[in-house]
Amino acid sequence: MGNVPGKIDQEDGFNDARPNLSNNTTSSDSAAKQYEGEVSSRVRARRTTSLVNNILNGNNSRPRAGSNISSTSRRKTSREKELAKEAHAKQLVVRCNETVDGGFLAPFGCYSFEKLDYDTTVVKNLIIKRKLAPFYTPLQDFDESWTRDELIKIVDGLPLHDTFDENLEEFEDVPIGNLRKSAYNELIDKSLSKKEQRRMHAKIFRARLYKKRILWQENENESFLEKKLEMRELGNKAINLKDSQNSQAKKNCHFPSDDLKYTLYRNGSECPICFLYFAAPFNYSKCCQQPICTECFVQIKRADPHFPHDEVDPTEPPTNDNEKDPNLLTSEPANCPYCATANFSITYQPPTDRETGIGGMPPDTYVYKECITAKPDASEPHVSVITSDTIRPDWETKLNKERSRLMRRSANATAIHISNRLIDPNHSSRRNTSNSVTPIQEESTSASRSPEPTINEIEDQMVREAIRLSLEDQDNRKKSKSRNATLRP
Amino acid sequence: MASLPKRIIKETEKLVSDPVPGITAEPHDDNLRYFQVTIEGPEQSPYEDGVFELELYLPDDYPMEAPKVRFLTRIYHPNIDRLGRICLDVLKTNWSPALQIRTVLLSIQALLASPNPNDPLANDVAEDWIKNEEGAKAKAREWTRSFAKKKPE
Repeated sequence: MGNVPGKIDQEDGFNDARPNLSNNTTSSDSAAKQYEGEVSSRVRARRTTSLVNNILNGNNSRPRAGSNISSTSRRKTSREKELAKEAHAKQLVVRCNETVDGGFLAPFGCYSFEKLDYDTTVVKNLIIKRKLAPFYTPLQDFDESWTRDELIKIVDGLPLHDTFDENLEEFEDVPIGNLRKSAYNELIDKSLSKKEQRRMHAKIFRARLYKKRILWQENENESFLEKKLEMRELGNKAINLKDSQNSQAKKNCHFPSDDLKYTLYRNGSECPICFLYFAAPFNYSKCCQQPICTECFVQIKRADPHFPHDEVDPTEPPTNDNEKDPNLLTSEPANCPYCATANFSITYQPPTDRETGIGGMPPDTYVYKECITAKPDASEPHVSVITSDTIRPDWETKLNKERSRLMRRSANATAIHISNRLIDPNHSSRRNTSNSVTPIQEESTSASRSPEPTINEIEDQMVREAIRLSLEDQDNRKKSKSRNATLRP
Repeated sequence: MASLPKRIIKETEKLVSDPVPGITAEPHDDNLRYFQVTIEGPEQSPYEDGVFELELYLPDDYPMEAPKVRFLTRIYHPNIDRLGRICLDVLKTNWSPALQIRTVLLSIQALLASPNPNDPLANDVAEDWIKNEEGAKAKAREWTRSFAKKKPE
């Protein structure tokens, strides 16, 4: 069992794990400064002109006129995929004017951007319908002894989104070009092979998306801070507002009142998975009633497609994954992280004392009222249940994709295997021929020589396989024809 | 390097302030995701009186991904191979983000107390264990004496 590839993963992990190996901060430092400059100049530009804003809000995804006119339909789909990914990334931006009961519709950023692969539309809708707790901004710590004023001050200082790791090692040497331009083909080294070029294209796309995502969020953060400052100035002025200021206040009505800030965090608790302190109420696991914050909940998902892990007999040689039937690939639904019950699902009881934001009152008008209503029972029948599959409806498509990918790969492997066996006899004859023969002559002599029996066998085998495949093909065609016939009587 | 998640900070603090008996785990100065670990062999096991050194690494996706743990001290055990890699369900498919460094190390200590030769990582050791349990245990004791000696205080 010692040579099974899966078991070696762990060893690989250690190679990049040893502390003294991660010593490349100096090289990325200058790049970081350069990038910081770029960002701040861009943010400055946004204040004076809406040009950048336009770019950041979708103009960059408009296909450039004149480029890729002759592109095939396949290229189009890969472009579409990229657009879908950009749209997804845009949905992950925390927006200060999109709040529900004091929380937001996008995650604060405890987990890395690449790991946010849930369906944003589904999750946003669930939050708006109060079937899933919103994404609250976490507190790193909470101290019971804080006074109301202290707590409000701390909440006031909370950012909209966690800080970004601006220079991922992964993208260190990847050129991103001008983010305002949608085309970046000029960044790709044309001397590379087609395959390498495609790979580079994908990598540049990911690096660009990562930076764009940061810019989008920073844009939002900036306006969040500006509005916050306006609010503070308004607050410092007299309570009887003039009309103009009143309209200003209306514009900023997404900001929570002090009462709301206090109510939110006064009775919060720590998520047992990320150890961060969030506003209550939490989501609860349906099976064992353990709390989980939404940010952690959206991380929990099915296992990636894999072959079933069976008990291995130590006396039998391990079977290679390549030899297994791709249809055996499975993906079990996620288990509850707390009690391992299959098909993890959560329930959520929305707060009854603070319906604010989307579908509620403006957060700035919220006034705390002593709530007398009894805490609703979590086992009430009308409480909706959200599973990990609910927020990733595409899991089945992914599984099937992986299956067909594996099928293609094994078909390729078979083809390569057979052609290798065809070539091999030449290799042995090359070794036997005298030095005076040049490689080309050698090839022709070996070809003109009566082929070895193994080649005959292999050829037979290939012919048989070809016949089998074409028969199968014909069969399938017949079947689909008859199916069509039954569909159209 | 990205800032360390609160969870790792809190777990580390707790490991230092309230250590598990028989287990130590200290983060490396250069990389706070990398821990040097020692586990004492459980009583009444062939590993009794041994102190085993391990390394533990928290990957970027921890706690959504299991910590990576490996024995540095040589050990004769059917679920631990020559390179120190450990075959333990909670480190692989049964990992859950609700588990912690502490619970993982306790599971490893429990694995020392009850080896499972039917799901082996070291085939030769497992075969030995199944065919001649007493002999295998004697060998494990011998290895413990020669490789996992307690350092004088």
